[in-house]
Amino acid sequence: MTRLLVSARQFGPYRSAVDTLARLPALRFALIAAIPIGWIAVANLAPLAQMVAISFQDRYPLPPGEPTLWTLNHYAAFFETPHYLAAFIRSFAFATLATLLTLVVMFPIAYYLSKVAPRDRRIRLLLLVIAPFWISEIVRSFAWILMLANRGAVNSALGLLGIPGAPLDLLYNNVSLTIGVLYLTSLYMLLPLYAALEKIDGSLLEAAAGLGASPLKRLWRIVLPLSRDGIVGGCTLVFLLVIGLYAMPQLLGGPDDTLFAATIGYVFSRAGDSWPLGSAFSMILIGVALAYVGLFAVLFRSRKPARPT
Amino acid sequence: MKRLSGTALPIWFWLFVVYLFLPLFVMAAMGFRDSKFIAFPIHDWTTAWYRSVLADEEILSALWISLQAALYSTVIAVAIGLPMSFVVARTRGLLRGLMIAAIVLPAFLPVVVSAIAIRMFLGNLGLETGIAAISFGHAISSVPFVVIMLLTRLNAMSENMADAARNLGADDLIVLFRIVLPFLAPALFGAIMFCLLLSFEDFVRSFFLGGNKPTFPVLLYAKLRFGFDPGLAAISTIVLIASTALGLYAERHIRRRKLGR
Repeated sequence: MTRLLVSARQFGPYRSAVDTLARLPALRFALIAAIPIGWIAVANLAPLAQMVAISFQDRYPLPPGEPTLWTLNHYAAFFETPHYLAAFIRSFAFATLATLLTLVVMFPIAYYLSKVAPRDRRIRLLLLVIAPFWISEIVRSFAWILMLANRGAVNSALGLLGIPGAPLDLLYNNVSLTIGVLYLTSLYMLLPLYAALEKIDGSLLEAAAGLGASPLKRLWRIVLPLSRDGIVGGCTLVFLLVIGLYAMPQLLGGPDDTLFAATIGYVFSRAGDSWPLGSAFSMILIGVALAYVGLFAVLFRSRKPARPT
Repeated sequence: MKRLSGTALPIWFWLFVVYLFLPLFVMAAMGFRDSKFIAFPIHDWTTAWYRSVLADEEILSALWISLQAALYSTVIAVAIGLPMSFVVARTRGLLRGLMIAAIVLPAFLPVVVSAIAIRMFLGNLGLETGIAAISFGHAISSVPFVVIMLLTRLNAMSENMADAARNLGADDLIVLFRIVLPFLAPALFGAIMFCLLLSFEDFVRSFFLGGNKPTFPVLLYAKLRFGFDPGLAAISTIVLIASTALGLYAERHIRRRKLGR
Protein backbone atom coordinates (compact mmCIF):
# COMPACT_ATOMS: atom_id res chain seq x y z
CA MET A 1 0.00 0.00 0.00
CA THR A 2 2.72 2.43 0.99
CA ARG A 3 4.81 1.58 -2.03
CA LEU A 4 1.79 2.22 -4.21
CA LEU A 5 1.19 5.57 -2.53
CA VAL A 6 4.83 6.54 -2.84
CA SER A 7 5.05 5.61 -6.50
CA ALA A 8 1.76 7.42 -7.12
CA ARG A 9 3.67 10.56 -6.18
CA GLN A 10 5.65 10.18 -9.41
CA PHE A 11 2.43 11.02 -11.14
CA GLY A 12 2.29 14.83 -11.35
CA PRO A 13 -1.43 15.64 -11.07
CA TYR A 14 -1.83 13.27 -8.13
CA ARG A 15 1.12 14.81 -6.33
CA SER A 16 -0.05 18.35 -6.87
CA ALA A 17 -3.58 17.45 -5.72
CA VAL A 18 -2.33 15.83 -2.52
CA ASP A 19 0.13 18.63 -1.85
CA THR A 20 -2.45 21.33 -2.51
CA LEU A 21 -4.73 19.69 0.02
CA ALA A 22 -1.88 19.55 2.51
CA ARG A 23 -1.39 23.30 2.12
CA LEU A 24 -5.11 24.01 2.56
CA PRO A 25 -6.08 22.32 5.84
CA ALA A 26 -9.51 23.94 5.79
CA LEU A 27 -10.36 22.47 2.38
CA ARG A 28 -9.01 19.08 3.42
CA PHE A 29 -11.07 19.18 6.59
CA ALA A 30 -14.20 20.17 4.64
CA LEU A 31 -13.69 17.26 2.23
CA ILE A 32 -13.36 14.76 5.08
CA ALA A 33 -16.23 16.35 7.01
CA ALA A 34 -18.64 16.23 4.07
CA ILE A 35 -19.24 12.48 4.41
CA PRO A 36 -20.09 12.36 8.12
CA ILE A 37 -22.14 15.54 8.03
CA GLY A 38 -24.07 14.28 5.04
CA TRP A 39 -24.66 10.98 6.86
CA ILE A 40 -25.91 12.69 10.02
CA ALA A 41 -28.31 14.75 7.93
CA VAL A 42 -29.61 11.88 5.79
CA ALA A 43 -29.50 8.95 8.21
CA ASN A 44 -29.98 10.43 11.67
CA LEU A 45 -31.99 13.59 11.24
CA ALA A 46 -34.02 13.38 8.03
CA PRO A 47 -36.10 10.27 8.89
CA LEU A 48 -36.91 11.71 12.30
CA ALA A 49 -37.72 15.16 10.91
CA GLN A 50 -39.99 13.58 8.33
CA MET A 51 -41.73 11.61 11.05
CA VAL A 52 -42.36 14.81 13.03
CA ALA A 53 -43.85 16.42 9.92
CA ILE A 54 -46.04 13.41 9.17
CA SER A 55 -47.37 13.34 12.72
CA PHE A 56 -48.97 16.77 12.20
CA GLN A 57 -50.58 15.95 8.86
CA ASP A 58 -54.14 14.92 8.46
CA ARG A 59 -53.45 12.21 5.90
CA TYR A 60 -50.27 10.64 4.64
CA PRO A 61 -49.34 9.60 1.99
CA LEU A 62 -51.64 12.06 0.26
CA PRO A 63 -53.61 11.08 -2.82
CA PRO A 64 -52.28 13.14 -5.75
CA GLY A 65 -53.74 16.62 -6.06
CA GLU A 66 -54.98 16.94 -2.51
CA PRO A 67 -53.63 19.72 -0.29
CA THR A 68 -51.81 18.99 2.95
CA LEU A 69 -53.93 19.64 6.03
CA TRP A 70 -52.09 20.28 9.29
CA THR A 71 -53.69 18.99 12.45
CA LEU A 72 -53.14 18.00 16.07
CA ASN A 73 -55.83 15.33 15.91
CA HIS A 74 -53.44 12.41 16.08
CA TYR A 75 -51.95 13.68 19.31
CA ALA A 76 -55.44 14.23 20.68
CA ALA A 77 -56.39 10.66 19.71
CA PHE A 78 -53.69 9.39 22.06
CA PHE A 79 -55.14 11.18 25.06
CA GLU A 80 -58.74 10.40 24.15
CA THR A 81 -58.29 6.64 23.74
CA PRO A 82 -57.99 4.83 27.10
CA HIS A 83 -56.64 1.75 25.35
CA TYR A 84 -53.56 3.59 24.03
CA LEU A 85 -53.05 5.56 27.21
CA ALA A 86 -53.16 2.36 29.28
CA ALA A 87 -50.51 0.69 27.12
CA PHE A 88 -48.36 3.81 27.43
CA ILE A 89 -48.60 3.92 31.24
CA ARG A 90 -48.07 0.15 31.44
CA SER A 91 -44.90 0.52 29.34
CA PHE A 92 -43.45 3.21 31.60
CA ALA A 93 -44.33 1.36 34.78
CA PHE A 94 -42.91 -1.88 33.44
CA ALA A 95 -39.72 -0.25 32.13
CA THR A 96 -39.18 1.54 35.45
CA LEU A 97 -39.64 -1.64 37.48
CA ALA A 98 -37.51 -3.68 35.11
CA THR A 99 -34.74 -1.06 35.34
CA LEU A 100 -34.80 -1.04 39.14
CA LEU A 101 -34.87 -4.83 39.27
CA THR A 102 -31.90 -5.03 36.90
CA LEU A 103 -30.00 -2.54 39.05
CA VAL A 104 -30.71 -4.46 42.26
CA VAL A 105 -29.73 -7.79 40.72
CA MET A 106 -26.64 -6.56 38.90
CA PHE A 107 -25.11 -4.23 41.48
CA PRO A 108 -23.84 -7.05 43.75
CA ILE A 109 -22.53 -8.86 40.69
CA ALA A 110 -20.66 -5.82 39.40
CA TYR A 111 -19.32 -5.26 42.91
CA TYR A 112 -18.24 -8.86 43.20
CA LEU A 113 -16.50 -8.83 39.83
CA SER A 114 -14.74 -5.51 40.35
CA LYS A 115 -13.83 -5.61 44.04
CA VAL A 116 -14.20 -9.03 45.65
CA ALA A 117 -13.38 -11.76 43.13
CA PRO A 118 -9.74 -12.95 43.12
CA ARG A 119 -7.81 -10.52 40.96
CA ASP A 120 -6.38 -13.09 38.57
CA ARG A 121 -9.81 -14.57 37.82
CA ARG A 122 -11.73 -11.33 37.33
CA ILE A 123 -11.36 -11.12 33.57
CA ARG A 124 -12.36 -14.72 33.06
CA LEU A 125 -15.41 -14.35 35.29
CA LEU A 126 -16.40 -11.16 33.49
CA LEU A 127 -16.07 -12.89 30.11
CA LEU A 128 -18.25 -15.72 31.42
CA VAL A 129 -21.18 -13.40 32.04
CA ILE A 130 -20.53 -11.33 28.91
CA ALA A 131 -20.54 -14.43 26.69
CA PRO A 132 -24.33 -14.59 26.12
CA PHE A 133 -24.37 -10.89 25.13
CA TRP A 134 -24.46 -11.63 21.40
CA ILE A 135 -27.49 -13.88 21.38
CA SER A 136 -30.50 -12.49 19.60
CA GLU A 137 -33.54 -11.36 21.56
CA ILE A 138 -35.59 -13.98 19.72
CA VAL A 139 -33.29 -16.86 20.60
CA ARG A 140 -33.28 -15.76 24.24
CA SER A 141 -37.07 -15.60 24.28
CA PHE A 142 -37.22 -19.08 22.81
CA ALA A 143 -34.81 -20.43 25.43
CA TRP A 144 -37.10 -19.09 28.16
CA ILE A 145 -40.18 -20.50 26.48
CA LEU A 146 -38.52 -23.91 26.68
CA MET A 147 -37.83 -23.33 30.38
CA LEU A 148 -41.26 -22.06 31.40
CA ALA A 149 -43.76 -23.77 29.09
CA ASN A 150 -46.32 -26.18 30.53
CA ARG A 151 -44.18 -29.10 29.47
CA GLY A 152 -40.98 -27.12 29.81
CA ALA A 153 -37.92 -27.75 31.94
CA VAL A 154 -39.13 -26.04 35.13
CA ASN A 155 -42.53 -27.69 35.20
CA SER A 156 -41.03 -31.03 34.33
CA ALA A 157 -38.59 -30.69 37.24
CA LEU A 158 -41.42 -29.67 39.58
CA GLY A 159 -43.41 -32.69 38.42
CA LEU A 160 -40.50 -35.06 39.08
CA LEU A 161 -40.13 -33.58 42.55
CA GLY A 162 -43.82 -34.23 43.13
CA ILE A 163 -44.71 -30.60 43.77
CA PRO A 164 -48.51 -30.36 43.88
CA GLY A 165 -50.19 -28.12 41.34
CA ALA A 166 -47.64 -28.75 38.59
CA PRO A 167 -47.68 -27.84 35.78
CA LEU A 168 -47.88 -24.23 36.86
CA ASP A 169 -48.84 -21.48 34.42
CA LEU A 170 -45.43 -19.86 34.21
CA LEU A 171 -45.48 -18.56 30.67
CA TYR A 172 -47.28 -15.65 28.99
CA ASN A 173 -47.57 -13.33 31.96
CA ASN A 174 -45.65 -10.46 33.50
CA VAL A 175 -43.42 -12.78 35.50
CA SER A 176 -42.16 -14.69 32.46
CA LEU A 177 -41.72 -11.39 30.62
CA THR A 178 -39.72 -9.94 33.51
CA ILE A 179 -37.48 -13.00 33.67
CA GLY A 180 -36.82 -12.72 29.94
CA VAL A 181 -36.26 -8.96 30.01
CA LEU A 182 -33.74 -9.24 32.85
CA TYR A 183 -31.93 -11.72 30.64
CA LEU A 184 -31.68 -9.03 27.98
CA THR A 185 -30.88 -6.01 30.14
CA SER A 186 -28.44 -7.44 32.69
CA LEU A 187 -25.30 -6.87 30.65
CA TYR A 188 -26.22 -3.32 29.67
CA MET A 189 -26.36 -2.61 33.40
CA LEU A 190 -23.30 -4.65 34.31
CA LEU A 191 -20.78 -2.95 32.06
CA PRO A 192 -21.33 0.68 33.20
CA LEU A 193 -21.53 -0.44 36.84
CA TYR A 194 -18.36 -2.47 36.51
CA ALA A 195 -16.51 0.43 34.88
CA ALA A 196 -17.56 2.80 37.68
CA LEU A 197 -16.91 0.39 40.57
CA GLU A 198 -13.52 -0.63 39.22
CA LYS A 199 -12.31 2.97 39.55
CA ILE A 200 -13.14 3.22 43.26
CA ASP A 201 -9.94 3.12 45.28
CA GLY A 202 -10.09 0.17 47.66
CA SER A 203 -8.12 2.07 50.29
CA LEU A 204 -11.09 4.43 50.75
CA LEU A 205 -13.17 1.49 51.93
CA GLU A 206 -10.39 0.25 54.18
CA ALA A 207 -9.95 3.71 55.68
CA ALA A 208 -13.68 4.01 56.34
CA ALA A 209 -13.73 0.56 57.91
CA GLY A 210 -10.72 1.46 60.03
CA LEU A 211 -12.55 4.55 61.27
CA GLY A 212 -15.46 2.36 62.32
CA ALA A 213 -17.97 2.82 59.46
CA SER A 214 -20.36 -0.11 59.29
CA PRO A 215 -20.60 -2.07 56.01
CA LEU A 216 -23.99 -0.50 55.26
CA LYS A 217 -22.63 2.96 55.91
CA ARG A 218 -19.65 2.33 53.62
CA LEU A 219 -21.98 1.17 50.89
CA TRP A 220 -24.24 4.19 51.34
CA ARG A 221 -21.60 6.88 51.86
CA ILE A 222 -18.78 5.70 49.61
CA VAL A 223 -19.63 2.98 47.11
CA LEU A 224 -23.00 4.28 45.93
CA PRO A 225 -21.99 7.96 45.55
CA LEU A 226 -18.82 7.05 43.70
CA SER A 227 -20.61 4.65 41.35
CA ARG A 228 -23.27 7.25 40.56
CA ASP A 229 -22.19 7.68 36.93
CA GLY A 230 -22.35 3.95 36.34
CA ILE A 231 -25.80 3.74 37.91
CA VAL A 232 -27.17 6.62 35.84
CA GLY A 233 -25.56 5.25 32.67
CA GLY A 234 -26.76 1.70 33.20
CA CYS A 235 -30.29 2.74 34.16
CA THR A 236 -30.55 5.04 31.13
CA LEU A 237 -29.45 2.30 28.73
CA VAL A 238 -31.72 -0.30 30.27
CA PHE A 239 -34.76 1.95 30.49
CA LEU A 240 -34.49 3.00 26.84
CA LEU A 241 -33.97 -0.62 25.82
CA VAL A 242 -37.05 -1.85 27.68
CA ILE A 243 -39.31 1.01 26.56
CA GLY A 244 -38.55 0.07 22.93
CA LEU A 245 -38.93 -3.71 23.32
CA TYR A 246 -41.07 -5.10 20.57
CA ALA A 247 -40.59 -8.84 20.10
CA MET A 248 -40.00 -10.23 23.57
CA PRO A 249 -43.27 -8.94 25.07
CA GLN A 250 -45.13 -10.64 22.24
CA LEU A 251 -43.29 -13.93 22.73
CA LEU A 252 -43.14 -14.09 26.53
CA GLY A 253 -45.75 -11.61 27.81
CA GLY A 254 -49.47 -11.91 28.41
CA PRO A 255 -51.90 -11.26 25.57
CA ASP A 256 -53.71 -8.50 27.51
CA ASP A 257 -50.61 -6.62 28.58
CA THR A 258 -49.67 -4.91 25.33
CA LEU A 259 -46.76 -2.54 25.69
CA PHE A 260 -46.64 0.76 23.83
CA ALA A 261 -43.89 -0.22 21.38
CA ALA A 262 -46.10 -3.06 20.17
CA THR A 263 -49.01 -0.61 19.92
CA ILE A 264 -46.92 1.61 17.65
CA GLY A 265 -45.89 -1.36 15.51
CA TYR A 266 -49.51 -2.46 15.28
CA VAL A 267 -50.76 0.99 14.27
CA PHE A 268 -48.22 1.12 11.44
CA SER A 269 -48.93 -2.36 10.14
CA ARG A 270 -52.67 -1.69 10.09
CA ALA A 271 -54.04 -1.07 6.64
CA GLY A 272 -55.14 2.42 5.64
CA ASP A 273 -53.63 5.78 6.39
CA SER A 274 -52.28 5.18 9.85
CA TRP A 275 -48.83 6.67 9.31
CA PRO A 276 -49.72 10.03 10.90
CA LEU A 277 -51.24 8.35 13.96
CA GLY A 278 -48.25 6.04 14.39
CA SER A 279 -45.88 8.98 13.92
CA ALA A 280 -47.65 11.00 16.59
CA PHE A 281 -47.44 8.03 18.98
CA SER A 282 -43.74 7.67 18.21
CA MET A 283 -43.13 11.34 18.97
CA ILE A 284 -44.98 11.05 22.27
CA LEU A 285 -42.93 7.98 23.20
CA ILE A 286 -39.60 9.59 22.29
CA GLY A 287 -40.45 12.89 23.99
CA VAL A 288 -41.67 11.42 27.26
CA ALA A 289 -38.99 8.72 27.42
CA LEU A 290 -36.10 11.14 26.87
CA ALA A 291 -37.58 13.68 29.31
CA TYR A 292 -38.02 10.92 31.89
CA VAL A 293 -34.47 9.65 31.50
CA GLY A 294 -33.06 13.20 31.46
CA LEU A 295 -34.95 14.11 34.63
CA PHE A 296 -33.64 11.00 36.33
CA ALA A 297 -30.07 11.84 35.35
CA VAL A 298 -30.39 15.45 36.55
CA LEU A 299 -32.01 14.52 39.87
CA PHE A 300 -29.56 11.77 40.56
CA ARG A 301 -26.48 13.74 39.62
CA SER A 302 -27.29 17.10 41.16
CA ARG A 303 -26.69 16.11 44.79
CA LYS A 304 -22.92 16.11 44.70
CA PRO A 305 -21.55 14.05 47.55
CA ALA A 306 -18.90 15.45 49.84
CA ARG A 307 -15.87 14.33 47.91
CA PRO A 308 -13.78 12.02 50.06
CA THR A 309 -10.21 13.22 49.74
CA MET B 1 -19.25 -7.38 55.51
CA LYS B 2 -16.28 -9.68 55.15
CA ARG B 3 -18.48 -12.72 55.70
CA LEU B 4 -21.21 -11.31 53.54
CA SER B 5 -18.93 -10.49 50.63
CA GLY B 6 -17.01 -13.70 51.20
CA THR B 7 -20.00 -16.02 50.75
CA ALA B 8 -23.17 -14.19 49.73
CA LEU B 9 -21.62 -12.34 46.79
CA PRO B 10 -20.07 -15.40 45.13
CA ILE B 11 -23.30 -17.35 45.67
CA TRP B 12 -25.30 -14.53 44.08
CA PHE B 13 -22.82 -14.40 41.19
CA TRP B 14 -22.94 -18.13 40.50
CA LEU B 15 -26.74 -18.17 40.76
CA PHE B 16 -26.72 -15.48 38.10
CA VAL B 17 -24.41 -17.59 35.93
CA VAL B 18 -26.83 -20.51 36.28
CA TYR B 19 -29.70 -18.19 35.31
CA LEU B 20 -27.73 -17.11 32.23
CA PHE B 21 -26.65 -20.53 31.03
CA LEU B 22 -29.29 -23.01 32.17
CA PRO B 23 -31.86 -21.95 29.52
CA LEU B 24 -29.20 -22.22 26.83
CA PHE B 25 -28.26 -25.76 27.85
CA VAL B 26 -31.93 -26.68 28.05
CA MET B 27 -32.34 -25.38 24.50
CA ALA B 28 -29.30 -27.27 23.24
CA ALA B 29 -30.66 -30.46 24.84
CA MET B 30 -34.12 -29.96 23.35
CA GLY B 31 -32.55 -30.03 19.89
CA PHE B 32 -31.64 -33.66 20.53
CA ARG B 33 -35.17 -34.77 21.40
CA ASP B 34 -36.48 -37.59 19.21
CA SER B 35 -40.02 -36.28 18.77
CA LYS B 36 -41.90 -33.70 16.75
CA PHE B 37 -42.94 -31.87 19.91
CA ILE B 38 -41.27 -29.78 22.52
CA ALA B 39 -41.51 -31.36 25.97
CA PHE B 40 -39.50 -32.51 28.93
CA PRO B 41 -38.19 -34.88 30.13
CA ILE B 42 -36.25 -36.17 27.11
CA HIS B 43 -36.24 -39.97 26.89
CA ASP B 44 -35.18 -40.64 23.33
CA TRP B 45 -32.26 -38.76 21.84
CA THR B 46 -31.38 -38.13 18.22
CA THR B 47 -29.01 -35.97 16.19
CA ALA B 48 -31.48 -35.89 13.30
CA TRP B 49 -32.72 -32.36 14.09
CA TYR B 50 -29.25 -30.91 14.12
CA ARG B 51 -28.52 -32.55 10.78
CA SER B 52 -31.82 -31.68 9.13
CA VAL B 53 -31.82 -27.96 10.01
CA LEU B 54 -28.43 -27.57 8.40
CA ALA B 55 -29.94 -28.81 5.15
CA ASP B 56 -33.12 -26.73 5.46
CA GLU B 57 -33.29 -24.35 2.48
CA GLU B 58 -35.45 -21.80 4.25
CA ILE B 59 -33.14 -21.56 7.26
CA LEU B 60 -29.97 -21.48 5.19
CA SER B 61 -31.35 -18.72 3.01
CA ALA B 62 -32.32 -16.69 6.10
CA LEU B 63 -28.83 -17.13 7.54
CA TRP B 64 -27.36 -16.02 4.22
CA ILE B 65 -29.54 -12.89 4.21
CA SER B 66 -28.45 -12.14 7.78
CA LEU B 67 -24.81 -12.60 6.84
CA GLN B 68 -25.09 -10.32 3.83
CA ALA B 69 -26.83 -7.61 5.84
CA ALA B 70 -24.13 -7.91 8.52
CA LEU B 71 -21.33 -7.52 5.98
CA TYR B 72 -22.88 -4.63 4.05
CA SER B 73 -23.92 -2.70 7.15
CA THR B 74 -20.47 -3.15 8.68
CA VAL B 75 -18.75 -1.84 5.57
CA ILE B 76 -21.05 1.19 5.50
CA ALA B 77 -20.74 1.84 9.23
CA VAL B 78 -16.93 1.73 9.16
CA ALA B 79 -16.70 3.81 5.98
CA ILE B 80 -18.84 6.50 7.62
CA GLY B 81 -17.59 6.12 11.17
CA LEU B 82 -13.89 6.41 10.34
CA PRO B 83 -13.95 9.91 8.77
CA MET B 84 -16.58 10.89 11.32
CA SER B 85 -14.25 10.08 14.20
CA PHE B 86 -11.46 12.12 12.52
CA VAL B 87 -13.77 15.10 12.24
CA VAL B 88 -15.00 14.87 15.83
CA ALA B 89 -11.43 14.44 17.11
CA ARG B 90 -10.45 17.76 15.50
CA THR B 91 -13.55 19.68 16.59
CA ARG B 92 -13.64 21.54 19.88
CA GLY B 93 -16.14 23.28 22.09
CA LEU B 94 -19.89 23.59 21.51
CA LEU B 95 -19.70 22.28 17.96
CA ARG B 96 -18.10 19.06 19.20
CA GLY B 97 -20.88 18.57 21.73
CA LEU B 98 -23.54 19.14 19.09
CA MET B 99 -21.87 16.75 16.66
CA ILE B 100 -21.58 14.01 19.25
CA ALA B 101 -25.22 14.50 20.22
CA ALA B 102 -26.30 14.20 16.57
CA ILE B 103 -24.08 11.14 16.07
CA VAL B 104 -25.29 9.17 19.09
CA LEU B 105 -28.95 10.15 18.58
CA PRO B 106 -29.92 6.77 17.00
CA ALA B 107 -28.67 4.92 20.08
CA PHE B 108 -31.16 6.79 22.26
CA LEU B 109 -34.28 6.31 20.18
CA PRO B 110 -36.62 3.41 20.90
CA VAL B 111 -35.73 0.84 18.25
CA VAL B 112 -39.27 0.46 16.93
CA VAL B 113 -39.54 4.19 16.33
CA SER B 114 -36.26 4.53 14.50
CA ALA B 115 -36.95 1.44 12.38
CA ILE B 116 -40.34 2.80 11.32
CA ALA B 117 -38.97 6.29 10.70
CA ILE B 118 -36.33 4.83 8.37
CA ARG B 119 -38.93 2.71 6.64
CA MET B 120 -41.15 5.71 5.90
CA PHE B 121 -38.14 7.74 4.80
CA LEU B 122 -36.93 5.07 2.38
CA GLY B 123 -40.47 4.45 1.19
CA ASN B 124 -40.79 8.12 0.26
CA LEU B 125 -37.56 7.95 -1.71
CA GLY B 126 -39.09 5.04 -3.60
CA LEU B 127 -36.70 2.45 -2.17
CA GLU B 128 -37.99 -1.04 -1.58
CA THR B 129 -37.67 -3.02 1.63
CA GLY B 130 -35.02 -5.73 1.52
CA ILE B 131 -31.35 -6.30 2.16
CA ALA B 132 -30.35 -2.77 1.13
CA ALA B 133 -32.87 -1.20 3.51
CA ILE B 134 -31.87 -3.55 6.34
CA SER B 135 -28.18 -2.78 5.79
CA PHE B 136 -28.89 0.94 5.84
CA GLY B 137 -30.90 0.57 9.05
CA HIS B 138 -28.24 -1.54 10.74
CA ALA B 139 -25.49 0.87 9.66
CA ILE B 140 -27.43 3.74 11.25
CA SER B 141 -27.50 1.94 14.58
CA SER B 142 -23.84 0.85 14.33
CA VAL B 143 -22.22 4.18 13.41
CA PRO B 144 -22.50 5.70 16.93
CA PHE B 145 -20.62 2.73 18.42
CA VAL B 146 -17.94 2.82 15.72
CA VAL B 147 -17.34 6.54 16.31
CA ILE B 148 -17.18 6.19 20.10
CA MET B 149 -14.78 3.23 19.89
CA LEU B 150 -12.47 4.93 17.38
CA LEU B 151 -12.61 8.24 19.20
CA THR B 152 -11.44 6.66 22.44
CA ARG B 153 -8.38 5.37 20.64
CA LEU B 154 -7.78 8.55 18.60
CA ASN B 155 -7.75 10.62 21.79
CA ALA B 156 -4.84 8.50 22.99
CA MET B 157 -2.84 9.18 19.84
CA SER B 158 -0.07 11.74 19.93
CA GLU B 159 0.00 14.28 17.10
CA ASN B 160 3.79 14.05 17.11
CA MET B 161 3.78 10.78 15.21
CA ALA B 162 1.91 12.21 12.24
CA ASP B 163 4.00 15.39 12.33
CA ALA B 164 7.22 13.41 12.34
CA ALA B 165 6.09 11.43 9.32
CA ARG B 166 5.14 14.63 7.49
CA ASN B 167 8.53 16.15 8.24
CA LEU B 168 10.11 13.08 6.71
CA GLY B 169 8.17 13.73 3.51
CA ALA B 170 5.07 11.58 3.86
CA ASP B 171 1.92 13.01 2.34
CA ASP B 172 -1.48 12.80 4.02
CA LEU B 173 -2.51 9.50 2.49
CA ILE B 174 0.77 7.90 3.51
CA VAL B 175 0.29 9.23 7.03
CA LEU B 176 -3.22 7.79 7.03
CA PHE B 177 -2.16 4.33 5.90
CA ARG B 178 1.17 4.04 7.70
CA ILE B 179 0.50 5.89 10.96
CA VAL B 180 -3.15 6.50 11.73
CA LEU B 181 -4.80 3.27 10.57
CA PRO B 182 -2.22 0.94 12.17
CA PHE B 183 -2.59 2.88 15.40
CA LEU B 184 -6.38 2.55 15.17
CA ALA B 185 -6.25 -1.13 14.20
CA PRO B 186 -7.31 -2.66 17.54
CA ALA B 187 -10.25 -0.27 17.88
CA LEU B 188 -11.13 -0.80 14.23
CA PHE B 189 -11.12 -4.56 14.67
CA GLY B 190 -13.31 -4.25 17.75
CA ALA B 191 -15.71 -1.96 15.92
CA ILE B 192 -15.97 -4.32 12.94
CA MET B 193 -16.75 -7.30 15.18
CA PHE B 194 -19.25 -5.24 17.13
CA CYS B 195 -21.05 -4.15 13.95
CA LEU B 196 -21.16 -7.67 12.53
CA LEU B 197 -22.63 -9.15 15.69
CA LEU B 198 -25.01 -6.24 16.31
CA SER B 199 -26.43 -6.58 12.82
CA PHE B 200 -26.63 -10.35 12.96
CA GLU B 201 -28.66 -10.44 16.15
CA ASP B 202 -30.97 -7.53 15.35
CA PHE B 203 -34.65 -8.30 15.06
CA VAL B 204 -36.74 -5.13 15.06
CA ARG B 205 -34.96 -3.26 12.25
CA SER B 206 -34.82 -6.36 10.07
CA PHE B 207 -38.50 -6.98 10.78
CA PHE B 208 -39.68 -3.53 9.69
CA LEU B 209 -37.14 -2.96 6.91
CA GLY B 210 -37.08 -6.47 5.48
CA GLY B 211 -38.96 -7.57 2.40
CA ASN B 212 -40.31 -11.03 1.74
CA LYS B 213 -36.94 -12.66 2.46
CA PRO B 214 -36.50 -12.73 6.25
CA THR B 215 -33.24 -12.58 8.17
CA PHE B 216 -32.60 -15.40 10.61
CA PRO B 217 -34.08 -13.72 13.74
CA VAL B 218 -37.15 -12.67 11.75
CA LEU B 219 -37.65 -16.19 10.41
CA LEU B 220 -37.27 -17.64 13.89
CA TYR B 221 -39.80 -15.14 15.25
CA ALA B 222 -42.32 -16.06 12.58
CA LYS B 223 -41.84 -19.76 13.27
CA LEU B 224 -42.12 -19.33 17.03
CA ARG B 225 -45.48 -17.59 16.68
CA PHE B 226 -46.66 -20.54 14.64
CA GLY B 227 -45.44 -23.40 16.83
CA PHE B 228 -42.34 -25.02 18.26
CA ASP B 229 -40.34 -28.06 17.26
CA PRO B 230 -36.94 -29.36 18.39
CA GLY B 231 -35.45 -28.29 15.05
CA LEU B 232 -35.83 -24.64 16.06
CA ALA B 233 -33.93 -25.38 19.26
CA ALA B 234 -31.21 -27.07 17.22
CA ILE B 235 -30.67 -24.21 14.78
CA SER B 236 -30.89 -21.61 17.56
CA THR B 237 -28.18 -23.49 19.42
CA ILE B 238 -25.93 -23.63 16.38
CA VAL B 239 -26.33 -19.90 15.72
CA LEU B 240 -25.79 -19.03 19.36
CA ILE B 241 -22.58 -21.06 19.54
CA ALA B 242 -21.27 -19.43 16.36
CA SER B 243 -21.97 -15.86 17.45
CA THR B 244 -20.75 -16.41 21.01
CA ALA B 245 -17.53 -17.94 19.71
CA LEU B 246 -16.98 -14.97 17.40
CA GLY B 247 -17.73 -12.52 20.22
CA LEU B 248 -15.35 -14.22 22.63
CA TYR B 249 -12.65 -14.47 19.98
CA ALA B 250 -12.94 -10.73 19.31
CA GLU B 251 -12.84 -9.97 23.01
CA ARG B 252 -9.72 -12.08 23.50
CA HIS B 253 -8.00 -10.71 20.43
CA ILE B 254 -8.54 -7.10 21.54
CA ARG B 255 -7.37 -7.85 25.06
CA ARG B 256 -4.20 -9.52 23.72
CA ARG B 257 -3.32 -6.59 21.52
CA LYS B 258 -3.86 -4.19 24.38
CA LEU B 259 -1.59 -6.20 26.65
CA GLY B 260 0.96 -6.71 23.90
CA ARG B 261 1.52 -3.00 23.46
